[in-house]
Amino acid sequence: MKALFHRPKTNGVSPPFPASIIPHARWYSRACALVALASAPSPTPAPVKKEPQTPQMSPLEKRLQDMGAIRGDGSDKFFGMENIRYTDPTGHSPVQYGNTCYCNSILQCLYYSVPFREAVINYPQRTPVESLEAALAKNLRFQNPNAHLEAEALAAKQKATAPSPTSRGAGVPPNQPQKPEDKDSPEYKKKVALQTMPILETKNNAASYGMSESLFTSLKDIFESLVGSQSRTGIVRPQQFLDVLRRENEMFRTPMHQDAHEFLNLLLNEVVSNVEAEATKQSFVEKPLPPTESADSLGMLTTSTGSKSPNTTRWVHELFEGTLTSETKCLTCEKVSQRDEVFLDLSVDLEQHSSVTSCLRKFSAEEMLCERNKFHCDNCGGLQEAEKRMKIKRLPRVLALHLKRFKYTEDLQRLQKLFHRVVYPYHLRLFNTTDDAEDPDRLYELYAVVVHIGGGPYHGHYVAIIKTEDRGWLLFDDELVEPVDKNYVRNFFGDRPGLACAYVLFYQETTLEAVLREQAQEDQASSTAASDVGDAGKTNGYPLNSNLHHVNSASQLPSEDHGRFVPIHRTSTAPQMMPTHHEGPELEPSSAPAGAPAVQPPQPPLPPIPDEQPPPLSPKKSDVAAKKEKARLKAEEKEREARLKAEEKEREKAEKKGRKEADQQRQQAVQREAEELRIAIERSKAELNDVGPENGSPKKSFNFIKRSSRSLSQRLSKDKEPRMSMSDLASPPLPETPTTESEAERSAVPSKDAPSPNISNPKLLSRAGPPPVKENKIEKTGHTHRWRSLSFKKTT
Amino acid sequence: MFYDVTFHVEVTFPILDPWADRDTATVLHLLTELSHSASVLPPPPPRYTIPVAYAAGAANGMAVPVVETNNTISHPEGGCPLQVGEGTYTLKDDLLLATPPPHPSEAPIVNPNPLATVPTPPTAGVKLSLVSLDPRKKPPTFLKTAVTAPPFGDGNPALAAPAPPAKDALKRRKPKNNIIKSSSSFVSRVITHETSAKRLSDRDPNGIFAFANINRAFQWLDLNSAQKEEHLTKVLFTKAHMLCHDINDLTKTSSHLDIVMGSSAGDIIWYEPMSQKYARINKNGVINNSPVTSIKWLPGSENLFLASHANGVLVVYDKEKEDALFTPEVTHQPDHDASRYPLEVLKSVQSKNQKTNPVSYWKLANQKISHFSFSPDQRHLAIVLEDGSLRLMDYLKEEVLDIFRSYYGGLICVCWSPDGKYIVTGGQDDLVTIWSFPERKIIARCQGHNSWVSAVAFDPWRCDQKTYRFGSVGDDCRLLLWDFSVGMLHRPRTHQTTARHRTSLVMPSTQTSNRHRADSGGNRVRSDSERTEKLDGDLDPMASHPVEPRARTALLPPIMSKIVGEDPICWLGFQKDCILTSSLEGHIRTWDRPNDSVVSHDPRL
Repeated sequence: MKALFHRPKTNGVSPPFPASIIPHARWYSRACALVALASAPSPTPAPVKKEPQTPQMSPLEKRLQDMGAIRGDGSDKFFGMENIRYTDPTGHSPVQYGNTCYCNSILQCLYYSVPFREAVINYPQRTPVESLEAALAKNLRFQNPNAHLEAEALAAKQKATAPSPTSRGAGVPPNQPQKPEDKDSPEYKKKVALQTMPILETKNNAASYGMSESLFTSLKDIFESLVGSQSRTGIVRPQQFLDVLRRENEMFRTPMHQDAHEFLNLLLNEVVSNVEAEATKQSFVEKPLPPTESADSLGMLTTSTGSKSPNTTRWVHELFEGTLTSETKCLTCEKVSQRDEVFLDLSVDLEQHSSVTSCLRKFSAEEMLCERNKFHCDNCGGLQEAEKRMKIKRLPRVLALHLKRFKYTEDLQRLQKLFHRVVYPYHLRLFNTTDDAEDPDRLYELYAVVVHIGGGPYHGHYVAIIKTEDRGWLLFDDELVEPVDKNYVRNFFGDRPGLACAYVLFYQETTLEAVLREQAQEDQASSTAASDVGDAGKTNGYPLNSNLHHVNSASQLPSEDHGRFVPIHRTSTAPQMMPTHHEGPELEPSSAPAGAPAVQPPQPPLPPIPDEQPPPLSPKKSDVAAKKEKARLKAEEKEREARLKAEEKEREKAEKKGRKEADQQRQQAVQREAEELRIAIERSKAELNDVGPENGSPKKSFNFIKRSSRSLSQRLSKDKEPRMSMSDLASPPLPETPTTESEAERSAVPSKDAPSPNISNPKLLSRAGPPPVKENKIEKTGHTHRWRSLSFKKTT
Repeated sequence: MFYDVTFHVEVTFPILDPWADRDTATVLHLLTELSHSASVLPPPPPRYTIPVAYAAGAANGMAVPVVETNNTISHPEGGCPLQVGEGTYTLKDDLLLATPPPHPSEAPIVNPNPLATVPTPPTAGVKLSLVSLDPRKKPPTFLKTAVTAPPFGDGNPALAAPAPPAKDALKRRKPKNNIIKSSSSFVSRVITHETSAKRLSDRDPNGIFAFANINRAFQWLDLNSAQKEEHLTKVLFTKAHMLCHDINDLTKTSSHLDIVMGSSAGDIIWYEPMSQKYARINKNGVINNSPVTSIKWLPGSENLFLASHANGVLVVYDKEKEDALFTPEVTHQPDHDASRYPLEVLKSVQSKNQKTNPVSYWKLANQKISHFSFSPDQRHLAIVLEDGSLRLMDYLKEEVLDIFRSYYGGLICVCWSPDGKYIVTGGQDDLVTIWSFPERKIIARCQGHNSWVSAVAFDPWRCDQKTYRFGSVGDDCRLLLWDFSVGMLHRPRTHQTTARHRTSLVMPSTQTSNRHRADSGGNRVRSDSERTEKLDGDLDPMASHPVEPRARTALLPPIMSKIVGEDPICWLGFQKDCILTSSLEGHIRTWDRPNDSVVSHDPRL
């Protein structure tokens, strides 16, 4: 990676920088100001007092403990992705909310698909480590981990001494409510993360891959810099990727909410075409790729999964592509015609109280083609009633399942979000395979879920929940990366309050043996949950010391509980104790050389040095500190146990004190509750008031309708020739070309299809190259599906 | 992020509870309603509040009420008839249990953060334990010989020691504490019906009592009462939800019922409803602090019951013994990969130390145990886990015999056929699977549910020596009935059979070849060399069976499938005169059987 671009940085001490000279200063200073505001109402702004917070390990850092040396395959990188604020090129509208969560969540899902990541890195070839490192040294920007605290302190000081200086005034929206910010809120954490974590920003490096800049090369830029990064955590800034995306696709040029599934589909198609365009360009140049070289150079590359693929251009196909066979039986002449089409993902209609299995089965259920939707039979020569069913003939290695949560409602003339409860298991096999399918019992495991939060299709937020190779499940919410319980994955069936539903599910192929191995190693999610229940309960005033106590007692079980499951650490046992433990290591960095990140627990980013040295090196200070800390922890634990016991006794005593006291307590509780309630109401009222104008517009809804059928339309057409090339894609011949029906259909539902599908995205069409006829045909399929889902709909 | 939020605030002030002999309860709540409809009002950014424990109730789709409400009964128009070969089952009524309001200490959730990473405690839909004192209502038995299984822990003098004096044999021992007068922080309050004493004395002595958990409440109902919707007693717990419960069939009398129930906090309550006495076992999770997922009295035992915990542990408790901090008695070699053992006996029933609970303690896996079921011959135990395995155990010998796997996904429920020959499981693959116990193999997969299968049960009144009737309910709100017969299942599979697949499916040779494959394929969980000395040499070594491919397994369609409600169904029970289901939100539905539908047969035939 060569040309690099640095966001100006506040290394070391960070006074708010002048807005005029820094490109992003506007947003920057605003962020600072927000943080400043957050701390403003706090009565004790002294930095000394705040200090203990910094070294407190984040849950992610806890889970990443004892990772060992940095790996070469990128499986140990856990970066958030910045939600890029959209700046209107014309400068008319103010800075918008970042709305690139659709992109972030999908990119994260793709990154943690091992074969996909390896394929991207190794195609056309892997960038040599040295050049990568050199590039990264410039690429990765480290920030002062205390920046936000200093900013806070400074702001507080400023507030105390003088009215706000100019730079601040510029950034602060005048109507910003002066309310204390919740330090546990994701917004706050994201802000802090943005200011403290190393930021990785990529710049076009396509030339070194021997390719011209494309969506693929910018994706590769991101992946390679992640893999090459010496820091395990940080934040990726996918600015360049978005620039390319927006340059080539008009529909992403707005600050509006985009559909994550659509983006996934576009990205995969784009990668296919980028790679294939490159291949055709180079076909005569002969581009041999020594497949072993890259593996050797890093030594750590797994030999198993995807490393073999990069020397062909078909690796996207091999991963995501499957084949559907649609069997159509003409009811007049009984002739069965078959047609294969390939797909990169499956879009399934939803039913209330169903499962993914059932949705897939419905997808393959028999369907009558009749009335307006008759089938053009070549045999009888005319429109006939027919039976049609679609089955999967070739199973993809990675199955991307799109749950069609956005459904067009005729009476409202727009898309609506379905909050159906659709359950998805951690493992899956497909029932809807053809009889001659290869490996019809293939086992899949759920490895990523893209969740849509929000009430409708035109707005909302996307996050991704992803199973990493050896660090369990993580929640990727833009800049924020948090470890979660395995059970957390099940919170998005669609029936829980909070409007969060699974939207795209990624299943990857696996084997029963692998599953068994993993299950054996899995941390005791349940016992973690139990102790977490304790923590949760504590906030409710339920006497919980006993619970915590038992967490300790459980740990006395020999090995089977904890010792064996080193990789994943409990997150919840004693967070409140942490600050004291960390006093030691925290003081230490004051002697660290200036310029290096000042205060950090062992984990975080020191530029080119691996976080944790392998054994041969003499123990670092931090190691010693860690040991000390361990001992301390032990002592602490004992102490706590004792204390807990005492507390329990006390509690029992208290219990005996009888009804009167209980009554008092209850009244207090009620009062407290009333108080909370009042605050909550006030807060929510305030919130209702301080929101800006809506983004969505009727025009937008048309866009959506038009795009909603694309998942089907982007199944690349495939005829007899199994191998796909550009020419194949572009070739029109299709066995059944029911121009007439689709015309009929169009006239029947004009409102849905009014805009021609190729307006918004000519690039897409030219690449996938389905001729208009084909497009129509597919659209028809899309509609029949919609109708089907309509007919099944009962309750919302 | 765009939310349309409407707040309805309802504040209720002191409510006097006439039945509680405790103090006045003051309840204050906020009802929040999130409307999903879009509006022009620009939505606020998301509010991320930390959800509290009570969120679990609301999170599972239950409407959280504001005040204590009463159960209601309805007779849906048009009913919900179940039409099968023997006639039509007609819906008698639909009893909706009232979800209790949150405990005053639980703050209401104003705007829950959907992404909150704080785990919510487990909660369960309504499950029922039924008991009838009428011997005629006992399900028919199909065992050819009387049960000869020795009692659990036979041969351990430490366990047999405290035999009760003979003269007291008829007098049941009750738990120590009065639940009504309890000042425990675990029990919130107890509401007894004002005429409960009269109702109890006047009732049909052969009627059916039902015990049901809903949210943090536990209700005692009389299903044959004219006012069956009115509970006899309602116990409200402070925070923990009861997840499962069971009634001891051996000790039931008209004045005594032994009920054990397991909670989301791990605590177990031994409750005697007639005298309103209770005892707390595994208090504060001192023995095992993970939620109790399933609980059953050991068949033929007055005192012992088995509880499965969510961390993969099975514990036998004695209702009358005190708790003691549990330390494993079996030393554990650290270099052994514990996961390779199908069962770690951390305390054996043969242990000399039987003064305190637990009686025995087995670690099965590190995955959640979903459910278990005792075989009719009282020797075996079928256990299903979240990892998708069905494990068969000889629990008297504390051994795992076989491990089977679901087609995919976790298994949720399990039951035995009345004659003990078949085991039926339901799981996250939307399938009900029939396994043969004597043959140790899969018999058929039953396809018909549209979502996860939450409960399965045999209908012993519709079973005979050759044909079996069972039912299943699931998250798809459906009740399905299935018939299968031995002959039918051994017929080759007609469905989707293609030339290249074997047409004969369930042949004896299949099993041997499977065994062989299991041996060579490295699928075994434990090889012979690793077996403990305890196993007899001539025993068939414990085998982990591979998943049978779809193409080689018989597929069984249901004889009846019906959507019976609007929320997931989570429990199913067959009685001599009716079928009962209960749902997540508390609907208990009863269908009367068609006339003469009960197969009369001689159990000794």
